[in-house]
Amino acid sequence: MLTLRAMRGLQRVPATFLPTLAMPIFQAVAFAGTYFAITKIPNFPTDRSINWFISLSGCMGGAFSGLGLGFAAIRDIENGFMDRLRMAPTPRAALLLGPLLSALARTFIVLSTVLVVGYFFGARPTQGLAGIAMFYLAGFGLAIVATGWGLGIAYRFRDMRGAALMQLTLFLVMFTSSAQAPMSMMQGWLLQVARVNPMTNILRLSRQGFLNPPVGGVSWENTWGGLLAIAVLGSLTICFAYRGLRKLER
Amino acid sequence: MTTSVLSAPQQHKTRDGLRQTYALSKRSTLEIFRQPALIAPSLIFPLFFAALGASSFGRTVGKVDGLKDVSSFLEFSLASTIAQGVLFGSTTGGTALATDIQNGFMDRLLASPSTRVGILIGRLAGGSVFGALQSIFFIIALYPFGVRIQGGIIAVLIMVLSGALIAMSLGGFMTAMALKTGSPEAVQGAFPLIFISLFFSSAFFPRESMSGAYKTIADYNPLSYLVEGLRVLTLQGLTTQSMAQALLIPVAIGVGSFALSLRQLSNRLAQL
Repeated sequence: MLTLRAMRGLQRVPATFLPTLAMPIFQAVAFAGTYFAITKIPNFPTDRSINWFISLSGCMGGAFSGLGLGFAAIRDIENGFMDRLRMAPTPRAALLLGPLLSALARTFIVLSTVLVVGYFFGARPTQGLAGIAMFYLAGFGLAIVATGWGLGIAYRFRDMRGAALMQLTLFLVMFTSSAQAPMSMMQGWLLQVARVNPMTNILRLSRQGFLNPPVGGVSWENTWGGLLAIAVLGSLTICFAYRGLRKLER
Repeated sequence: MTTSVLSAPQQHKTRDGLRQTYALSKRSTLEIFRQPALIAPSLIFPLFFAALGASSFGRTVGKVDGLKDVSSFLEFSLASTIAQGVLFGSTTGGTALATDIQNGFMDRLLASPSTRVGILIGRLAGGSVFGALQSIFFIIALYPFGVRIQGGIIAVLIMVLSGALIAMSLGGFMTAMALKTGSPEAVQGAFPLIFISLFFSSAFFPRESMSGAYKTIADYNPLSYLVEGLRVLTLQGLTTQSMAQALLIPVAIGVGSFALSLRQLSNRLAQL
């Protein structure tokens, strides 16, 4: 019911979902156009800049789909709907599972749109359906992580101040990874940060279907790090959200 | 002995107009600096992106067209850092005006015998002063990391003046949006449109390295030439063309945005 409610919200107030949809598309097109020349650097793993940036957009889309549910939770807290939900004999897990499923449905729409628009702008998967599956897997994983993070912040801050914090942290984590350039191109402080940033692994998971071997190519080596990062971050953020919900009840 | 062109009442009117404009400019300038939480992102984020770009794309220096004669990516980024920071800051003035409209201060101002142009200039002046200070801040902040202005002190002064003019010209669009909608959220919502126009220019990477439709858009985007003017002042030194690009392009954009603001102000007055 909560998932259906969130999905109906997309139809009734599309303005709340449009930025989540438009931003990754804009990012893919703008980054691929602006930084087109980086593919000319020797050993760059693809000759199409859109192939490099489409995964960043997919991950960003997944993450913002999740955060969108955090914004919605803040609205529900502010207008009193959350209080009514908590009074209802609803299992507490459903209050997290509903938004989570909704985030996955939103992410599917965003990822599919990014793929179609990306194809139109020249993106070509190099590893067939398996590569596309990895692209979706990374996006869904980040949606789970971001939903947990967004809900956790929303339940603690309980007003729109939390929205800025959600976005800021996401941007910082996203861009201090291999978001813009491969590790082999990086230098200085960013290289050190990107090495330990789990987002680098998630991006590697997403990119393997769009890059040329040896960097690309669907393989366990390119997959396990991303899966582990999603599993650990997802568990932590969902726990964070659950504890936030319990605090809200107190 | 010189004869005054203006009659005594006209001179009074001009003096009053200037005094009102000064008072409103002072108010809008103080308003910006009283809200450090609002201005901090426009100082921090451009520096963060400059550091990010330098680390991500530093190895493209000397290898990519347009970056072959550049010694550091950070030096190349100074112009876009200024443009980006001023752009972030330009929303602050528009948002403040929308808040004035919402809380009724604008209605009281319009009911007073103050000049309409003075109201607009007064509002834009705060952003303009902040734009100039932002330029100084970015030049100083990047200096310890090896960023040098080849054009010397005159180039620095031109860049600071350009920062003020960019803030005024882009602030004009935000002012027009604030006057049209009277909503701070709408002004904030318009920000991505201007940010996109900066992205579809040569602000972040040289035009020579672009291709296809994207290059065509960047070729037609006046912001490309504005940023390139600032970039030449940083990387190569003073040239007449770079000075003209850095100063005249924001003036030209400003004439358009100011006219748009005046039109929106007239529309708002007609609704009262």
